[in-house]
Amino acid sequence: MSITITNLRKYYGKSAAVDDFTLEIPSATVFGLLGPNGAGKTTTFKCMLGLARPTSGRILYDGKPLMPATFEQIAYVPERSVLYDWMTVEEHVEMNRRAFAKFSPARAFELLETFNVERQKRARALSKGMRTAVMVAMAFARNAEILVLDEPTGGLDPVNQRHVLSLMINEAAKGNSIIFSSHQIGQVERAAENIAVMDRGRLVLEGLVDDLKADRKIVEGIFPDVTFTLDGIANDPRVARSDRTERIVRLLVTGGAADIASRLSSAGAMAVRVLDLNLEDIFLYAVSPANATTDVVVRESSS
Amino acid sequence: MNYVEWLRVRNLLRTTAIILAILVVLAVILRISVSRYMSPDAWVAHMSLDPGTKVTHTVLPGGTKRTTILDPSEPSTVVIDDHGYSGKHIVITEPTSRAHKEQQAHNIGIGSIQVHESRHGSLTTTVIDTNGSVPMLYYMALADVVALIVATILAAPLAREIDGHLEIALTRPCSRVRYALEVIGADAVGILAASVMTIAAFYLVQLLFESARLDFSGINARAIAMGVTLPLAWYALLCAATTWLNRSYGAVLGFAWPVTILIGALTLIPPGNVVALFVHDVAWVLSRLNPLTYVSFASPNDNGTLDYTGAHFALRLSIEVLMFVVYGAIAILKWQRVEA
Repeated sequence: MSITITNLRKYYGKSAAVDDFTLEIPSATVFGLLGPNGAGKTTTFKCMLGLARPTSGRILYDGKPLMPATFEQIAYVPERSVLYDWMTVEEHVEMNRRAFAKFSPARAFELLETFNVERQKRARALSKGMRTAVMVAMAFARNAEILVLDEPTGGLDPVNQRHVLSLMINEAAKGNSIIFSSHQIGQVERAAENIAVMDRGRLVLEGLVDDLKADRKIVEGIFPDVTFTLDGIANDPRVARSDRTERIVRLLVTGGAADIASRLSSAGAMAVRVLDLNLEDIFLYAVSPANATTDVVVRESSS
Repeated sequence: MNYVEWLRVRNLLRTTAIILAILVVLAVILRISVSRYMSPDAWVAHMSLDPGTKVTHTVLPGGTKRTTILDPSEPSTVVIDDHGYSGKHIVITEPTSRAHKEQQAHNIGIGSIQVHESRHGSLTTTVIDTNGSVPMLYYMALADVVALIVATILAAPLAREIDGHLEIALTRPCSRVRYALEVIGADAVGILAASVMTIAAFYLVQLLFESARLDFSGINARAIAMGVTLPLAWYALLCAATTWLNRSYGAVLGFAWPVTILIGALTLIPPGNVVALFVHDVAWVLSRLNPLTYVSFASPNDNGTLDYTGAHFALRLSIEVLMFVVYGAIAILKWQRVEA
């Protein structure tokens, strides 16, 4: 089941939580939605699930609007615990069994055992991580075609975090779609095939992780003094952004890195390097303004 | 039926059952404690202490034990027919000077005990039957006390979902209206179940003391109708209020009764001056929104039988039903608009 989001806007008063957001999420994929705090990821999820009413825009599932029956195919793990404190884990399983036709209690108990969650315990007695584990177990026992996971590893220990990532990849292998958000970009890089980056409610970057990494390079030039000109290099369409810090200029390029490096040398740079980016670098460049101080860690690929 | 709401209802009914069971146990203790005082032998022994009193015991063909007490000094006669568990038929004949003089005939009914008093010249005859049927009205009054408490506790089902569980409630494969109806339905069943449990408990208590027969006829059918609709209308009122105020639902439930009593008290203020008149009028208008205002109370009429005071019982019952529907609809309307 594919999801098409078109011109989604969600305003709270005059403030835009999501602003003209358009995205196509293909079926059978692990899709990572990234963004800093307040970027609009959770609001986007809520709009997708009908939990929040979009100010404008459309969200279609296989070309059809969200209907109550669609929830038979969608499982959702919110970023905070929504479990009923007074209910036991077992009662939560029963609640899901009654609500969803394809829910498998056996699978739920199997997953809960993997996460070491005691089924007799009340939700209020569970730690934050255990609560997340219960919600994740319920979602993955749903046999749903789409899993929307908002920070699905929040509070989990590294072993269980890895387990959740494996579950996500397995679901995608079965032909189901996973849409998830996480602040841990390493996890996104490990699990997601596609990513979209949001910032201040807008989509700022989207694509296949491998393509984004292959296309994007940093071309760094060091000039002899602070008075240098780039001779229009920064205006080259392949240069996505440029950052200057005293004698150093860093250019984020989306292609033709060798050519840009050559032009920097011609402009007077005494040393030029072409550097690879990881997903965290791509993310940070996408959400931080040009010339802002970034902690982008770059690795040298080839000189 | 909504599973989560049913669990809430089940837990509350369990607590209600425990409290009612404690009351039954207390009644058992009381029954054992007073058993010897309930025997006619104890009364007879007491009455025969008067000098000159003559007591005779006979057994009638049907097995009924008859005790006759003659007090020549009064003169008065007491005939007690003891039918065992099926009750007693007591006829007391005494001089009129010792009995009520105001009326030729006087009837009193308290629970299963029926007292009929009549004058015949200088003598007054009082007939006491302890095996009368108990009007359901009494049971419904007791049941409504419990049902109203249960309704008050349950009356924030949608607000409880809004307060942190919308992601579960609104991502189920059913419409919001259906979800709300399931939740309200579960609560309505719970409120009715609390009424039934209370009636059963008090019936059991009555059985400990005597053979109990319930009277469903006449006025009692109306009592049942009013007894069922009143807590449901009260529930719907609070349900609407809590759904619109969502996160303040605890305060709404907590202050519901004090505010209701306060408004009721304010309607009684005599409109002596402008301020009092204004307060009275505001309270009066507010009280019209409260289902408790439309309760019809039954009381004994001139013949000693119970009847509803005030006319328009059907109208009052209709208003209760209407309030349940309208307040329920208001709650659902808000529920359809909530966002996580």
